[in-house]
Amino acid sequence: MTLKIASRSLKILIIHLVLALVATGLVLPFIWMVLASLKPLDEIGLDSWLPSAFQWHNYADVFSMRGIYFGRWYWNSIFVASWVTFLQVFTSSLAAFSFSRLKWKGRDSVFMLYLATMMLPGLVMMIPNYQNMIFLGLVDTFQGLIIPSAFTAFGTFLMRQFMMNIPSSFDEAAEIDGASKWQLYWTVILPLTRPALVTLTIFSFMGTYNSMFWPLVMIKSPELYTLPIGMLAFDSTQGQQTNLLMAAVTMSVVPVIAIFVFMQKQLVSGIMLGGVKG
Amino acid sequence: MAKLTKRDYREIATGLAFLLPNLLGFLSFTLIPLVISLFMAFTDWNLEMHNLFQDNELHAVGLDNFIRLFSDPDFFTYLGNTLFLMMGIPFGVAGSLGAALLLNNDFRGGRTRQVYGIVIVTVVLTVSCAALVLTGMGAVAMTMLVCGTVGVVLLGGSIGGQTVYRTLFYFPSFTAGVATYILWKKLYSPENGPINNALQPVLTAITPWFSGLTPRMAMFAAAAAMLLMVLVYLVALWRAVAAWRNGELGCYSLMMAVLLLSLPLLLCQHWSRLSWGGALGATGVVLGMLVLARGLYIGRDFTALRDYGMGNAVVLDGLVMIMLFALLGTANVITIIPEAAASDAGFSAPEWLSDYYWAKPAIMIMGFWGALGSKNMLLYLAGLSGVSRELYEAADIDGASPLQRFWNVTWPQLANVTFFILVMAVMHGLQGGFEMARTMTKGGPAGSTTTLAYYIYTEGFTTGNLGYASAVAWTLFALVFSVTLFNWKFGNKYTNE
Repeated sequence: MTLKIASRSLKILIIHLVLALVATGLVLPFIWMVLASLKPLDEIGLDSWLPSAFQWHNYADVFSMRGIYFGRWYWNSIFVASWVTFLQVFTSSLAAFSFSRLKWKGRDSVFMLYLATMMLPGLVMMIPNYQNMIFLGLVDTFQGLIIPSAFTAFGTFLMRQFMMNIPSSFDEAAEIDGASKWQLYWTVILPLTRPALVTLTIFSFMGTYNSMFWPLVMIKSPELYTLPIGMLAFDSTQGQQTNLLMAAVTMSVVPVIAIFVFMQKQLVSGIMLGGVKG
Repeated sequence: MAKLTKRDYREIATGLAFLLPNLLGFLSFTLIPLVISLFMAFTDWNLEMHNLFQDNELHAVGLDNFIRLFSDPDFFTYLGNTLFLMMGIPFGVAGSLGAALLLNNDFRGGRTRQVYGIVIVTVVLTVSCAALVLTGMGAVAMTMLVCGTVGVVLLGGSIGGQTVYRTLFYFPSFTAGVATYILWKKLYSPENGPINNALQPVLTAITPWFSGLTPRMAMFAAAAAMLLMVLVYLVALWRAVAAWRNGELGCYSLMMAVLLLSLPLLLCQHWSRLSWGGALGATGVVLGMLVLARGLYIGRDFTALRDYGMGNAVVLDGLVMIMLFALLGTANVITIIPEAAASDAGFSAPEWLSDYYWAKPAIMIMGFWGALGSKNMLLYLAGLSGVSRELYEAADIDGASPLQRFWNVTWPQLANVTFFILVMAVMHGLQGGFEMARTMTKGGPAGSTTTLAYYIYTEGFTTGNLGYASAVAWTLFALVFSVTLFNWKFGNKYTNE
């Protein structure tokens, strides 16, 4: 009996060790990133990862570099991502409501069309969309970044999956109370879909915050850059300043990590929701 | 269609009213652009020539763009690059599965949990002290750093259990983006990147081990690897033919298997560094055809539907194909060892992103780092929690070894998750590589990391050939769509087997 417990303990210990080693391996690049961001420039290539003295002012220096509007880019990214997220959540929850709680002829064929476009490579649409934006005069503006991204077939799909699971007795009760369809959407269904709303909010925000292709094509003036293309510019113009570059990388990753740590539960359930049937 | 009543119209109006904001966006940014893009693919639309200010006439060029595309060797190189990078997918998926299996263990130590914490930390301290003694004082700080990290992670894991590890595993894929690509670019830096800083001393240390290796011996070793490749190919083919004979594979599935398996041997002609590598590959294929002919001659004992077992054939033979490619790569690496070992400096660490041959593997290694704990791991974890305990208990009663338990219970039960993950990964892989190429290599060196997505970007937005870029985009679309069709046709069959 004691032997059995001992062998079980040993097994658990080994599993812990393997997991910890793998986890450390995965995290090491981040550790190097943070340590390098605190080094003086001439210590970057040394074998030791630890700086001789922690240079905290590297982080402040990033904001005052010439040609690098880091604070501005930070703000731009959050501004654009917030707008896109708000619009995506709003439009796709409305559409999902129509696809799941309302009955109308042709509904399912329209939904199938939506589903089919989820398979399309986004690249195919980029080229005409770019022409479109030139035509509308929206190149190099935030509107040009926000408006084409404000609609999502994936979000509609995700919300619909969730709304389908709400019992129809809610609708019937609301109808007896004389609620209009809008009231049904706004006061009954939307509050019930909170978990899906949170999930979609995280996905949309992260997706936009990280997106690179569209801003790269659309935005020409450095003051309007979002973080990803700002980081690209930083890397290509002053990339040899590795310590400052790493400070910038660290700062641009921090919001992502924060969102992940605080929102982990919703994220995991959202991946299941989108992945199981997707 | 039945006549619509007044009530129907009212319902449609309400439905569309809610749909309207989304539908407008959908039409103007997805559906209409899609049609325009198809139109553009047949024109000479150019960013410089056809815009608001330059009203040049637009020419319909028919199939010219597509003809140019298919007669362009670059296009096939870039398609090859894309497919090459996709060979990292199985490794990533296997890594995710491994991580999920480890995380799925029962962590509850009950009352003894705190004790584990202490025990574990003690172990770490002992190990790190031992390491300090072994490595000497030069690397004290680094060793402390790594061991300290392991210790902190272990402590966290023994208190928080699965959640802590899962979080850490998921970090790389969650943060993936320009920022982490820039980070990896610095990690790979040949002059002062930490990877080569750590690798070079190791390589220098092991150089003498290989100094006895003559070119002739290396040649034999490489030949052995190549022969092993042919052997694995023949065995896999033999099994596929046998499966066809007992009705476990349909004839289309068999054809698919033969095609996948033969591909690496046929490519030996181009990819093998041995002068007779191509001939060996061709001989292998001829032998394989003999195996196939023998099977066909004997005939089937049981017949199956033509596409029966397609999913299974593609997944398993796809894995064997990657293995064959890996053996080919090993043989190639072996042939260059003697030369490198004989040089004055000994082995030198690769220049990663700026080396023609290493750039792709470098990107694949980074991809593996991101793929290990990605959402695939979460899907596998969910899949594992759905496997019924009774199946495992039954396997235990039958006295199955852990490996048998995995192959006979876990793997079949996870088949649909695996299939879903692979299909998604292939679809993303075909469209992928843009961000890495743009951030880390600009598609170079010499186009070795240019994928189709990056090609579309450069053709469309840098060079301005929007018409041609649309043609490339539609070709890519056709590829992705064929994967989707495959999924629709065979996905369910795989799951139902």
